Amino acid sequence: MEMPDTFQVHGFMSQALILTDHNDFFGPSSRDTGSLEYTELGLNASFRPRSNVLVAGQVLARQAGDMQQLNEPELDYGVVDYQFFTDSNANAGIQLGRFKNPLGLYNQTRDVAATRPSILLPQSIYFDRTRQPALSADGVMLYSEAFMNNGSVRFQFGMGSPRLDDQSEVSVLGAGTYGDFSGETSYIGQMRYEHGGGEFVLALTYADVNAEFDSRGVRPGSGDFSFQPWILSFQFNLENWSFTTEYAIRNIQTKGFVSPYNYDVTGESWYVQLSRRLGSEWQWLLRYDSLVTDIDDRSGKEFARASGVPAFTRYAKDWTTGLQWQPYGRFMVSTELHHIKGTGWLPYQDRAELMSQEKYWNLLLFQVSYFF
Amino acid sequence: MRQPLIACICLVAALLFTVKSRGDDPMVVLIANPSVIQTSLSLETVRAIFAMRQRTLTDGQAVHVFVLPDGDPLHEAFAKRILGVYPHQLRLAWDRAVFSGTGQAPNEVATASAMLKAVASTPGGIGYAYRSELTNQVRVLDIE
Repeated sequence: MEMPDTFQVHGFMSQALILTDHNDFFGPSSRDTGSLEYTELGLNASFRPRSNVLVAGQVLARQAGDMQQLNEPELDYGVVDYQFFTDSNANAGIQLGRFKNPLGLYNQTRDVAATRPSILLPQSIYFDRTRQPALSADGVMLYSEAFMNNGSVRFQFGMGSPRLDDQSEVSVLGAGTYGDFSGETSYIGQMRYEHGGGEFVLALTYADVNAEFDSRGVRPGSGDFSFQPWILSFQFNLENWSFTTEYAIRNIQTKGFVSPYNYDVTGESWYVQLSRRLGSEWQWLLRYDSLVTDIDDRSGKEFARASGVPAFTRYAKDWTTGLQWQPYGRFMVSTELHHIKGTGWLPYQDRAELMSQEKYWNLLLFQVSYFF
Repeated sequence: MRQPLIACICLVAALLFTVKSRGDDPMVVLIANPSVIQTSLSLETVRAIFAMRQRTLTDGQAVHVFVLPDGDPLHEAFAKRILGVYPHQLRLAWDRAVFSGTGQAPNEVATASAMLKAVASTPGGIGYAYRSELTNQVRVLDIE
């Protein structure tokens, strides 16, 4: 008998076509020809150099509209995972390096179509505007799993420095040209209970993401940014039905900037989602997803009065229905239709784009994906 | 806003009273390479191993998981009746592990006899088999 080889390589690729009647989502989607600017390419490798050590890394190249061009592939995660404890009731380990944040149910693999129930994840929680700081961190994550009679409880606690990009700057300050963000020590914790091998899942996540901004000019000035979401997640799985809901409340604060760049707002997001497997190849989905940017100004009217920006940019209510088809192996074709009121999670580049948005809009997507 | 939360609470309450058969199919058994010293494993340990979240046994030996393709009847029987999960849930768990850097995919073999051979020849190998097809080169593990 020889020692087994543990080296593995896996990857994914997906390409979408996006059409909207109003507003541009990930590229010029409101043109007749639509937008092809939503592409995801990933490649990973892993091996186990020792019985309780896993080394894994993944590179990702992604385009999602103009702000996030298909650039050089970047390191999505790169970890040494040392599972230092195993007994008959529990296990525990530590991940060192760039780890994916266990934020809610879907964040860790949000760019992999095979793990998503729809082409777009519920945008109220998994929106693109603050994708980068939410995605991963450079630091340490501890995890532990305790076994119970017919269930298990998992704890994850991470500490590290978040990554930031131009889109994060636009989301926080309204434009991406004022200076540079750098990540500061941030924390994430998740507690997750799985009953009956995943028949139902209950999870609670908290994160405290911090960054500091170094301004080039007098405005907006240098300051600090923090983002603190709480997410409560629940999923119920039967053989052919899945019911999923998540509720998030998140505080966003900026401090130390020149007025009017300082703010302290608490937003609320939630969705309910039903998916139905139809045979082994098809899956149908129905979802209602709601985002409110500021719970003290749910209609956005106060914000509109103060800023002149339309009230509907401060919320989004999205009805979605979609179909996934996996005709053979690991090849998937999917489509979905969104009817949306408000533009609260729609990425934008500047005030001019924000001012030209429409309140009611429809979004149609097609996607082909392949995994190995 | 409160309605979805209330719906969740009701569902959780309903689930606490549901019972699903698991760990008790007379036809399908959990098998291991003879190097594995344990004679039994808890159901949750077996679930964590097959979901690729636990990589070693309590004595520190590395586990190597073998599975059959998703649609294989033996795989389906093992997933549903022993683990109490559906094959598509296992597939999703493996995808999540592989693409998040938290685990590897299991080793897939094409047939039940290839499975027996692979588990027999791999130290720390774990898989499953029809009781009627067992050989003396693998050990049967009880599930507590």
